[in-house]
Amino acid sequence: MGAKAVHAAHLRTAQTAYGAAMTFRVAMDIGGTFTDVVCYDEQTGAVLASKAPTTPGDLAEGVFAALGRVVDDPTLISFSWISFFVHGTTQGLNALLERKGAKVLLLTSAGARDVYQIARGNRERMFDLRYRKPTPLVPRADVMEAAGRLDWRGAELEPLDEQAVRRAAQRVRAEGFDAVAVTLLFSFANPAHELRAGEILRQELGDDVLVVLSHEVAREWREYERTSSAVLEAYAGPVVRTYLSRIERRFAERGLTVPVHVMQSSGGLVNAGFAMRRPLQTLLSGPVGGTMGGVAAARLLGRANAICVDMGGTSFDVSLVVNGRPDVSAEAHIEGFPVLMPIVNLHTIGAGGGSIAYAEAGALRVGPESAGAVPGPACYGRGGDRPTVTDANVVLGRVDPAWFAGGLMELDVEAAGTAVATLAGTLGMDPLQLAEGVCDIANAKMAQAIRTLTVEHGVEPREFALVAFGGAGAMHAVFIARELGIGEVVVPRFPGAFSAWGMLEADVRRDLTHPYFRAQDDLDGGHLAARLAELERDAMAALDSQGVAHDRRRVEHALDMRYEGQDYTLTIPLLDATEPASPGFLQAIAQRYAEAHTSRYGHATPEAPVEFVMLRSTGFGTFPKAATAAPARETHPPAVRDVIFDGQVHRTAVLRRSALPGPLNGEVEGPAIVVEETATTVIPPGCLATVDANGFLIIKVTS
Amino acid sequence: MIDPVTTEIIRCALLQAAEDMNTTLIRSSYTPVIYEAKDCAVALLDRDHNVLGQSSGLPIFLGNLEVCTRETERMFGRDVWREGDVWVLNDSYIGGTHLNDVTVYGPIFVGGELVGFAASRAHWLDMGSKDPGGSMDSTSIFQEGLRMGPMKIYENGAPCRDLHEVIARNVRFPHATLGDMRAQVACAMTGQRRLAEIVGRWGVETVMAARDEIFAQTERLERQAVAAIPDGTYTAGGYLDNDGIDLSTPLPVNVTVTVEGERVHVDLTDCADQATGPVNCGAAQAVAAVRVAFKLLISADVPLNGGSFRPLDVATRPGSMLAARSPAACQYYYSHLGLLIDLVVKALAPVVPGRAAAASYGDSLIVQFTGADPRTGKLYVSQEATVGGWGAWEGGDGENCLINNVNGSLRDMPIEVLETLFPVRVTRYEVRPDTGGQGQWRGGNGVVREYEFIGDTSLSLWFERSVTPAWGLAGGAAGAPPRVTLNPGTPRQREMLKVNALPVSAGDVLRCESGGGGGYGQADLRDPDAVADDLTQGMITG
Repeated sequence: MGAKAVHAAHLRTAQTAYGAAMTFRVAMDIGGTFTDVVCYDEQTGAVLASKAPTTPGDLAEGVFAALGRVVDDPTLISFSWISFFVHGTTQGLNALLERKGAKVLLLTSAGARDVYQIARGNRERMFDLRYRKPTPLVPRADVMEAAGRLDWRGAELEPLDEQAVRRAAQRVRAEGFDAVAVTLLFSFANPAHELRAGEILRQELGDDVLVVLSHEVAREWREYERTSSAVLEAYAGPVVRTYLSRIERRFAERGLTVPVHVMQSSGGLVNAGFAMRRPLQTLLSGPVGGTMGGVAAARLLGRANAICVDMGGTSFDVSLVVNGRPDVSAEAHIEGFPVLMPIVNLHTIGAGGGSIAYAEAGALRVGPESAGAVPGPACYGRGGDRPTVTDANVVLGRVDPAWFAGGLMELDVEAAGTAVATLAGTLGMDPLQLAEGVCDIANAKMAQAIRTLTVEHGVEPREFALVAFGGAGAMHAVFIARELGIGEVVVPRFPGAFSAWGMLEADVRRDLTHPYFRAQDDLDGGHLAARLAELERDAMAALDSQGVAHDRRRVEHALDMRYEGQDYTLTIPLLDATEPASPGFLQAIAQRYAEAHTSRYGHATPEAPVEFVMLRSTGFGTFPKAATAAPARETHPPAVRDVIFDGQVHRTAVLRRSALPGPLNGEVEGPAIVVEETATTVIPPGCLATVDANGFLIIKVTS
Repeated sequence: MIDPVTTEIIRCALLQAAEDMNTTLIRSSYTPVIYEAKDCAVALLDRDHNVLGQSSGLPIFLGNLEVCTRETERMFGRDVWREGDVWVLNDSYIGGTHLNDVTVYGPIFVGGELVGFAASRAHWLDMGSKDPGGSMDSTSIFQEGLRMGPMKIYENGAPCRDLHEVIARNVRFPHATLGDMRAQVACAMTGQRRLAEIVGRWGVETVMAARDEIFAQTERLERQAVAAIPDGTYTAGGYLDNDGIDLSTPLPVNVTVTVEGERVHVDLTDCADQATGPVNCGAAQAVAAVRVAFKLLISADVPLNGGSFRPLDVATRPGSMLAARSPAACQYYYSHLGLLIDLVVKALAPVVPGRAAAASYGDSLIVQFTGADPRTGKLYVSQEATVGGWGAWEGGDGENCLINNVNGSLRDMPIEVLETLFPVRVTRYEVRPDTGGQGQWRGGNGVVREYEFIGDTSLSLWFERSVTPAWGLAGGAAGAPPRVTLNPGTPRQREMLKVNALPVSAGDVLRCESGGGGGYGQADLRDPDAVADDLTQGMITG
């Protein structure tokens, strides 16, 4: 616990030096197993990270414990020192995964009752006569209809049947529903019926029942996707609301004076008050922190593009930073359910350390089946006897048993060796060759998945830096980079708590959309500019309600466009809200669209008419980004181990991260293994690593 | 000999290359038939026309893109392939499907050496057939539109203007059609780039050695799976309702499946002669349908590549509905293919109990309407497939309202998108209760989709599987057949299943009801709790 003692000493020194003036920015990422906390000392620039088991009964306990681990005496920390507090949560997602969400009644337009059950009728698996759709979160019997109809422009064809809405409210009361989701056809074009239904329901039901209106969740067309989004919000929302209000209360009791901020799936922050009203936005709150860390890391490195690789025991998530921004899309699928909301594109691949290697008809396959946590890889010693990627790393000597999982877990090296040798025997291979092959296959699959993601954006992976985090990310990063022709791998500080660090670096973000369905011939630039001006006002007001100071607000505008007849749109940025009113706008925007189309798909049809689908205005509230001090260097003599690279045994230095030479103080030459509490970095022969001023480990990759 | 690690890495790279091609195609296509209905498929082929990697939105396009490159080479010789050329083909008797399915393909060269082909097939909205989008009553291929043999659309990297002009002047929606064609060309280029990268990294020799091993692995796995099925001859038969012209004559389809050791032989010779109406297909497509059944029942989890289907052979009879010759009409080439897949499943169900299920509602059930949009004056074509009920199996109820077996990723048209694009209103979209066959496990229910037209329009319908609706298994009951009613409950009420270009007026209502899936096992063995839940959820009405 040497590191902990150092942190504690440091904190006490800081307190003595700065007294009551000292302020901390604190981020916490509450995951299913662990709670990560990262603190940033605004005076010294020091960054501290800590981890404690998540405490499901009262999650605040886990947070206090994690905070407490950075000091010897937790009472030394006063929450009144905290100047900024941000939080990532998986509460909503867990409720969905475990099917423990709210009891929801769904109210739809008459005739459209089964849109949610039909779920667009497609099959995700092609060769399965026994295919079943994901079980809907609202059973058919809990879907009610209300007459009332709008046409495609939002004009009323038939008034809303308010009695039907009241009947729904009666049933909610009588049968004890927790939430009501309302999705009426064409509410994206005209929300009047939904607003009226919401008014009646709130009148009848008060604040105890969450009422979710689909156009407020996602003002976009396609009724199934909008219904699914509204149902998800109603299903997960009460859990998130209860949780956030409890967290807020508990932290206030402990002296917290600033608002709790929450990470949204979009990679932006909002305060807890807003998150309680729009809980859907917090669904992927935790994992996107890593991407925002990638955004911050790219900024600190002066790079526009980064590939973020988060590899843990059983999963492998890739996301992109393109032109300094997170790659955010307007739609995603969660557990088979579509959601329309801005969401950081997290490409999940079943290729983590737990991926099982097996033989099939003479072939060697790796994954997607995972050993999970139980029994886990053979080296966990929990009875797993099938070799995994982690076992292969152990056999190759790339995992230091003393540092495995921060030294919290005993490693069964022998079991790993036996599992690998057994499979090698089946395939007639040498065990070491097999172990390296298993890693090579896993690396190749991860690299291919990354290439697919970059191809979708029309960008070349070569132009990116690879930012590796999670427990196993940096163990594989250099090999993945080689597959992709990437020259630089970045291992940030605290790779095991990088998500929390990323939250500290994120901005407040509010996304506003407005449907704007127009053929190019019908476009009125002045009208469009006026709509954007309104959206800009709304976005500014939203930032205001988030407490963002005037000089820290910024609104960006973009248009979703496509060629007439296309469905998928591309989001084309505008210079500002007034641009559409300028002469020659249509020509300019069509040109910009054609360029984007060419870059993304390799072709365009400049002579074809374009159409406009959606306005997107995003308000950002930026926080001052303070410089991070480099960590203090400790001295630890390196150990030496035998590690296999390219079929050869290499005498390899095992270095502690905290003992690496500081910036400009020299390089670490591969082969080397760098260990720290939460992660291991493998530097193969021929690669050079340095530590930069931010404390990042930068590996120059040679092929 | 190549090592298993390199082989596996190359295998994954080839699959990913095909996925990248598919992504390129779907994301840059112009028409909903491709991006919503996923009526498309891509394949990366080796220079001997074997599938290296494949990705398909449509199961029925399985493993027959290679017939296009193979036939081109047969006609013009191997020297015809030139770097920078892209080819196009839609001849039904080669590709097997209707003229709307256009295959675009190009050779891939590395260092001047031919290493393979990239190909995609996608449904073009309109080919200039006598009715917009395709006819339900064509009696000859010459009524079905522009027919292209193997032709170049790009030569040495430059578009061939003559053929572009021919296409632009023969189809009704030239912008969208040429846009889709460009998406296919972009897809081919993605495939070219990917395969060139793979060959560039490992070298031709290694890639070819890996290919041989990958194919051998698949073949071994499929032979093992076939060997596990008891030897014997298994048969099933059913009827296509009619050919769309003579509505009173059902057309028989009979399959005989012989399993012998590691081989499966499927005999399709005992089926109707090629019909007057557009229900014929080229033999390539009948083979593809049998392959779908083979995948469903025998090798669902086995990687799909040039080693696939080696234990399978299929016999067709030239001049029959399943191996048609010119000038047979082919617009609805797939109706009997859905039936064919279900029949192979039925024949083998007793010996592959772990994978089989009772029959599904069966067909795409097409609703098509076309006219001038009163809101804009522009010509439009709306074409939709209809979801329905799937069959139950031992241990599970069939799914409700799911797309049919020849389709896969096809998604229904959202009401809000449909009404925005076309002059129509959807007044009901609901589960159709009581239509799944009863049984210990219940067949899935069909759907009710009701339209109200807000302008005069020309309506075409293709609803099938009323003569042999979805049968049950092991004592389960059959599902209900489909039903279509124009202006239900009015004096002008009219029932029909197939019709071509019927004029309908603003205010007319069309109610389309799809069939249910077959049940499994005796109904009296059904768990009473399941029956109670069916009542609560309104899946049965008591």
